[in-house]
Amino acid sequence: MPKVQSLQDAASLVQDGDTIAIGGLSMNSTPMAFVRELVRREVRDLTVVAIVQGLAVDWLVAGGCVKKVVSGLVSFEGLGLAPRFRAAVQSGEVAIEEYSEHTLVCALQAQTYKLPFMPTRAGIGTDMPALHPETTRLETDAATGRHYLACTPLKVDVAVVHAHAGDRRGNVRVDPKLLWLDNEIINAATTKIATVERIVETSEFTAEPHRTTYPHFMIDALAEVPWGAYPSSMFPNYIHDKDFFNAYSAAAMSRDDDAFSSFWNERVIEPDAQGDYLDANGGAATLMRIARRTT
Amino acid sequence: MTTQTTPPAAATPEVPGYDCTIDELMVVALSEEFDDTTRAFNGAVSFIPVCAYLLARATHAPELVWSASSIAVDAAPAQIPESTLSDSLWDGASMLSNSPFDFWAWAQAGHYNTFAFRGAQIDRYGNVNNTVIGPYNRPKVRLPGGGGMADLSCMIPRIYLWSTTHNPRIFVEQLDFRSGIGYGDGGDHRERLGLPGGPQVCVTNLCVFEFEPTSKALQVRSLHPGVTIDDVREATGFEVLAPSGDIPITAKPDPEVLRLLREVIDPTSQRLREFS
Repeated sequence: MPKVQSLQDAASLVQDGDTIAIGGLSMNSTPMAFVRELVRREVRDLTVVAIVQGLAVDWLVAGGCVKKVVSGLVSFEGLGLAPRFRAAVQSGEVAIEEYSEHTLVCALQAQTYKLPFMPTRAGIGTDMPALHPETTRLETDAATGRHYLACTPLKVDVAVVHAHAGDRRGNVRVDPKLLWLDNEIINAATTKIATVERIVETSEFTAEPHRTTYPHFMIDALAEVPWGAYPSSMFPNYIHDKDFFNAYSAAAMSRDDDAFSSFWNERVIEPDAQGDYLDANGGAATLMRIARRTT
Repeated sequence: MTTQTTPPAAATPEVPGYDCTIDELMVVALSEEFDDTTRAFNGAVSFIPVCAYLLARATHAPELVWSASSIAVDAAPAQIPESTLSDSLWDGASMLSNSPFDFWAWAQAGHYNTFAFRGAQIDRYGNVNNTVIGPYNRPKVRLPGGGGMADLSCMIPRIYLWSTTHNPRIFVEQLDFRSGIGYGDGGDHRERLGLPGGPQVCVTNLCVFEFEPTSKALQVRSLHPGVTIDDVREATGFEVLAPSGDIPITAKPDPEVLRLLREVIDPTSQRLREFS
């Protein structure tokens, strides 16, 4: 199977019941086109690892794809709470396995480095460690008497990230450089998938090897999806589409169920290709509005 | 950036006699806590501290370091966007740092020394809840979660708290969940846990609290104009400590400082998102 695949083929690597880690942070750099495809495929019973997230988790919950969320924070930031996530957790429909941000980083590192645990000071004295005493053990170092939290490995079946460029071999570049925690999920996962704004010649990577983020052997599949983080941002190409977030939240919190289902169908689920989906959300006018520079 | 950020639909009360509104007084009061040794960053929904860092840097603390969204060192945005984790906040930065290698190393090593957080609940020792209201397994309200609050409240020595809604539902006797640690159970508890420093102040829409040195409980340091100690006691779900004698009034902001806040730092008043 060539590494460069259609978005549909790449998304088919995710199986019902998988643990899938989603890249990006908050309103930024999230592989939303991939998430949309998972919803369209009606994948079920996912455990979603999302360190600090918002809309990706809300979509997967709204699509009925999620059994459990493993996360440190899920919200729409200054634009409000994540409505479907909040309702599903409050009703008990979706389970949450909650850790602090740095605890999750440590658990992913323990998985990557094949260690029994990774120590950190994170969360000492808070109620966080006691939520999951089996995976975040509060321990005292015998030699020094110092306290630490032992974070046990977090197994991830599939990690998916969005990046700026990739080549046919699977080299991937985040432009100008990696900022968020995406490398922690790529390193920890069994299957590693990237969606990229564009596929370029391998010579572009060899000409500037210091700009490569993930080497080809760390990526199993990649798909070219322009504006693939929309409506999250993709620094420095485009900003998040706050109008989408506002309209989505309004529809999701409406007392009228039809308001959400028509929004959901028309603007998220029904459009087939990425271009159709962008058109359903304002097309060129929207892209002009969110563009920071020519992509 | 090609789009204009629209101001949030919210208004805040005027501070009697001060020619400013309460959000402005809170920003100015918080900014006065920072100095040239402050090395700060910010998390989610942190409009008040972001304004305060920028204001301090523009006035009395030019050497203050602030990293927007914990990523963009020395950012100088033309305006504040509707998310304080947004990359729209990064303009003018001298470095875009990387979260796992740069940020988490600098935070744990103490190269960053200042962090501000708020909570849906705050207790007398400056511990904070941003996780659930009600029982954890059957929450009445599922809040966003603490994110890095549990981590950074352990790692960062100078913690600053704020609340735009000082009332007994926020300032509670007992947190439903401790997402971030202040002084823990009070006294030397934080120190015994091996954690550096602790909360310095808590700025609210009614007063500025500091922490009583021995018990480490919140104690009123100054009252905002028009607010009495009884108002604060009524709005607080635990016993409020106060100095004996007259309680100072929070200082009046300088007109030029207010102009900078209104016209240069946050011209579209995104800080009001914390009041809606």
